[in-house]
Amino acid sequence: MQRYSRASRILGCAIALPLIGSLLASCSAGAGPDSTAENAKPVAGGTLVYASGDAEPSCLDPHVGGNYPQALVASQYLESLFTKDADGKIIPWLAESTDVSEDGLTRTITLRDGISFTDGTKLTAEAIKANIEHLKDPNTASSTGYLAVGKVVDIEIVDELTAKLTLSSPDNALLESLSMPWTAIESPKALERDQATNCASPVGTGPFKVESWEHQKAVNLVRNDDYVLPVGDTARADDKAYLDGITWRFIPEAATRYAALQSGEVDVIDNAQPDTIATATNDNSLGHLDAPRPGASNRIELNSSKAPFDDQRVREAFIRSVDANSGISALYFGTAQRSYSLLSSVEPLGYTDESLFGTDAAKANELLDEAGWTERDAEGYRVKDGKRLSLDFPVSTNQSVPAEQSLFEQFQAQAKAVGFEVKIQLLDLSSWYGALAKHEYDLVSAPYTKVGPSVLRILYHSNSTVPAPSGYFANNAQVKNEKLDGILAEAEQTNDEALRASLYEQAQKLVLEGYYVLPLYDQQNHFLYGKNVHGVGATTAVSSPIYYDTFITE
Amino acid sequence: MGTIAWAGRKIGGALVVLWLVATAIFIAIRLIPGDPAEAIMGGPGSQASAEALAAARAEYGLDRPLIAQYLMYLGKLATCDFGTSYSLKQPVIGIMGEVLPNTLWLALLALAAAWVLSLCFAAQAMRANRVGAWVGNIVEIIAAAVPHFWLGAVLIMFFSSMLGWLPAVDNGTTQGLVLPVLTLALPLAGFLTQLMRDSLSYAMSSQFALAARARGESRLAVFWRHGLRHAALPALGLTGWAFSSLLSGAVVVEAVFARPGLGRSLLSAVLARDIPMVTGIALFSALVYIVVMAITEGLERAIDPAGASS
Repeated sequence: MQRYSRASRILGCAIALPLIGSLLASCSAGAGPDSTAENAKPVAGGTLVYASGDAEPSCLDPHVGGNYPQALVASQYLESLFTKDADGKIIPWLAESTDVSEDGLTRTITLRDGISFTDGTKLTAEAIKANIEHLKDPNTASSTGYLAVGKVVDIEIVDELTAKLTLSSPDNALLESLSMPWTAIESPKALERDQATNCASPVGTGPFKVESWEHQKAVNLVRNDDYVLPVGDTARADDKAYLDGITWRFIPEAATRYAALQSGEVDVIDNAQPDTIATATNDNSLGHLDAPRPGASNRIELNSSKAPFDDQRVREAFIRSVDANSGISALYFGTAQRSYSLLSSVEPLGYTDESLFGTDAAKANELLDEAGWTERDAEGYRVKDGKRLSLDFPVSTNQSVPAEQSLFEQFQAQAKAVGFEVKIQLLDLSSWYGALAKHEYDLVSAPYTKVGPSVLRILYHSNSTVPAPSGYFANNAQVKNEKLDGILAEAEQTNDEALRASLYEQAQKLVLEGYYVLPLYDQQNHFLYGKNVHGVGATTAVSSPIYYDTFITE
Repeated sequence: MGTIAWAGRKIGGALVVLWLVATAIFIAIRLIPGDPAEAIMGGPGSQASAEALAAARAEYGLDRPLIAQYLMYLGKLATCDFGTSYSLKQPVIGIMGEVLPNTLWLALLALAAAWVLSLCFAAQAMRANRVGAWVGNIVEIIAAAVPHFWLGAVLIMFFSSMLGWLPAVDNGTTQGLVLPVLTLALPLAGFLTQLMRDSLSYAMSSQFALAARARGESRLAVFWRHGLRHAALPALGLTGWAFSSLLSGAVVVEAVFARPGLGRSLLSAVLARDIPMVTGIALFSALVYIVVMAITEGLERAIDPAGASS
C-alpha cells in the first residue's frame, strides 16, 4: 500500500501562489513557465477571455441540473458556505462557524457578517433556507445539489446569521457537500424570479457577477466592486479582483481552442488534451494548471451482476490481462499519473494498493482456465458451454477523450491475447446512458465528481443498483455486499474522524480486492493559459479555478 | 401552363413536402433512445425524481397517446408554433430568429465567394497550357472533395497559429469571417468550376467563339463575353442546391470556428435531445430548400419560358 506524496505537491503550490491561492485548494503542475503572481507585479484591469471546450450550459445556475461546466463558470460569481483549504481540509467560507449536535441530527451554521449579494441583498440565514429549499424543490430539477442536501429535512432560522438544519440521519459529509458549487448560495431575492431569468443571471456573492449572456457567443462577467473576501488577506488595498471582467466563451473544437490560445485571441482554455499539453509545456510558452477533480478516480467498472463477470476469477483475469501503465504513459505523454485507488488523489482518505493490479497474462490465462473458459474458437476467443467470452463496452464520446478511447482500444487488443472479446461501442451520451439502464454492458467508464469519500456510498452501496425513474444508477459495478453496505452506512454517520478514515479504508479494500474496478487515473482537468496571464491556481473544492487572483500583463 | 397554376402547384407541393418532413421528424425522434421528459429535466443521466418527470410529461403533453401528440404537434406547426426549447426554456422561434442572420450571412458570403473563386479558376484554366489545365483540374477535384472540418482545421493552423494573420474564432469583426467563408466556399468553388469546365471548353471551341477570335478579340475577352454565358448556365441551375448545401456545411463550420448560428444550435439541440429545437431547425431548413428551389425554377422560367413549359 502506498499513498501519493500529496503533501509535497500541495506545499509546492502554496508557496508559488500567494493571496487566496495559498489558502484555497489549488494545484499547479510544475511544467511550463512560472507565471504566477510572484514573478510579476499585479496590475488591475483588463478582461480575460476564457474558452471552454464544454457544451454551453443551458442554465448558469448550478442548482439546476448540476454539471461540471456549470461549476466552472459559476465559481466566478457564486460562493459556497464551505470550501477546501490547501491541505484538503474543509473550512468555513461564507459560513463563519458550524456545530453539530451529539446525535449528529442537528447542524448549526452561522454566517459571516457584512457580506452582500450583488443585487444588494444582505447574506443572512434566510439565504441558507431559501437555497436548500430551492435545491429540494422538484421544479428546480436539481440533480447534484439535490443529492447533496438529501438528508436535510428542515431548516430553522435561529437569528439573523444562524440557521439550524435538521437531518433525517447523521451525515458527516454535509460540509463537504456544502462546499461544492452545485450547492452554492444565491440571493434569496433573485431566486424568487422565474427559472429562465435566474438561469440567465444568477446572483451570488462572488468576485465577479453575470452582466449578460449572449447565447452561443459568450457569458459576460464583470468585476464585483463590492466584493468582500470572506477568509484571508488579499494584501491589496481592497478586496476587489484584478480583472475588469471575464468573457466566457464556448469553443467546442479542441484544435480551434488551442489555435486561439496560441494566437492570443483567448487567455485561458480548459479541456486541454494530453498531446496539446505536452506541446504547450515543452516550448515553455504557455502556462499549465493540472487540477484533478475530487471524488472518484477515472476507472473501468466491471458489471458483476451477470456472466462472465459474476465470477471474481474472470474479473481478475481481465484486469491482469491489460497493461494500463504503458498505455497511459504512451497516450497521455506524462500528463496523467496512474491510479490504483477508487478515489481521486486529492481525496485525503483515498486508499491505494498497487499490488492488486500488476499485469500478468499468465495468471489471467490460469484464472480463466480455472473458471472453466478452457476452449477457444476459430478466432482465438475463449468459449464456455458454447458461449464466447465476450464483453460489451459502451464508451461515451462525451466523457472519454480521444486518448482514453485509444487506451481502451489497446486494452481490447491485450485482452484478446488471453481470449476476451471486448466489443467497444462509441456512443453519444443519451445512448450511453440508455445502454447502462438496460444493463447492456460488462465494462464501463463513468466519471463521478463529488467532494469527500462519501462518493463511495453512492458508487458501491447496493442501494445504488436500484435505478432512479430515469433508469440511472451509480453502482455500475453492481457491487452488492452486505458487509460493505454496513461499513459505508456507519462511515457516513460517525463523528469520530479516525473511525471514519478506518471505515472508508476497509470499504475501499473490499471493492479493490473484489476486482470490481480497474483504476486508471484521476479525472483529468487541465487548463492552459497565455504567458501574460498570472495568478492562476486557486480553485474551489471541486477543483474549478477561481480567477480572483488572476491578472494580465502586457 | 399559366403562371398562377404553376405557383399554385408549387405551393401545394411545398405543403405536402413540409408535412412529410414534419412527420418524418416526429417518427425519427420517437425512435431514438432517451426519454424526452428526461431531456426536459436536465438532459441524459439526470436524476430527476419520478414526480418531476411526471410533471414534465404532463406539461409537454408527453403522457397522451401518440396519435394525439402527433395531431397536437401538427396543429401547433400549422400556426407556426414550434414550442419551447427543452434545454433553454425559451420559444424556439425566438432562438432561431436570434441566430439565423449569422448563418444566412455566412452562407450568402460563401456563395458569392464560391462564384468569384470559381470564375477565377475558370479564367485561369482558359489561359493555362495543357499541364496547367491538368494541375488546375486536380486542384478543383481536391477542393470539391475535402471535408469542411478538415479544411477549417488546416486553414486555422496555417493562417492563425503559424502566420497569425487571421483570427481562429469569431470575434464579430470582418477578419473573423474570412476563414469560415473560405472553408465553406472552397469546396463549392471546386465543384462549380468542374461543372463549368466541359461546357466552357465546348463553348470556346464553337463557331461563335472562333468567329470572335477571328474578329481580333483576345482569348480572355471571348471567355468573359461569350464562353462564360454558356458555361455558367448549368452551374447557375445548381445554385439553389448549393445554397442548401452551404446551410448544412454551416453545422460543421460554425462548430469549428465557434460562431453562433443555426448549425451550432442544431448540433447542441441534437446532443441535448432538445426535440422542439431540432424539429424547428429541421423544418426551417426544409422550408429554405423548397423556397430556394422554387426561386431558381421561377428564374429559369423567366429566362427561358419555352424550356420550362416543354
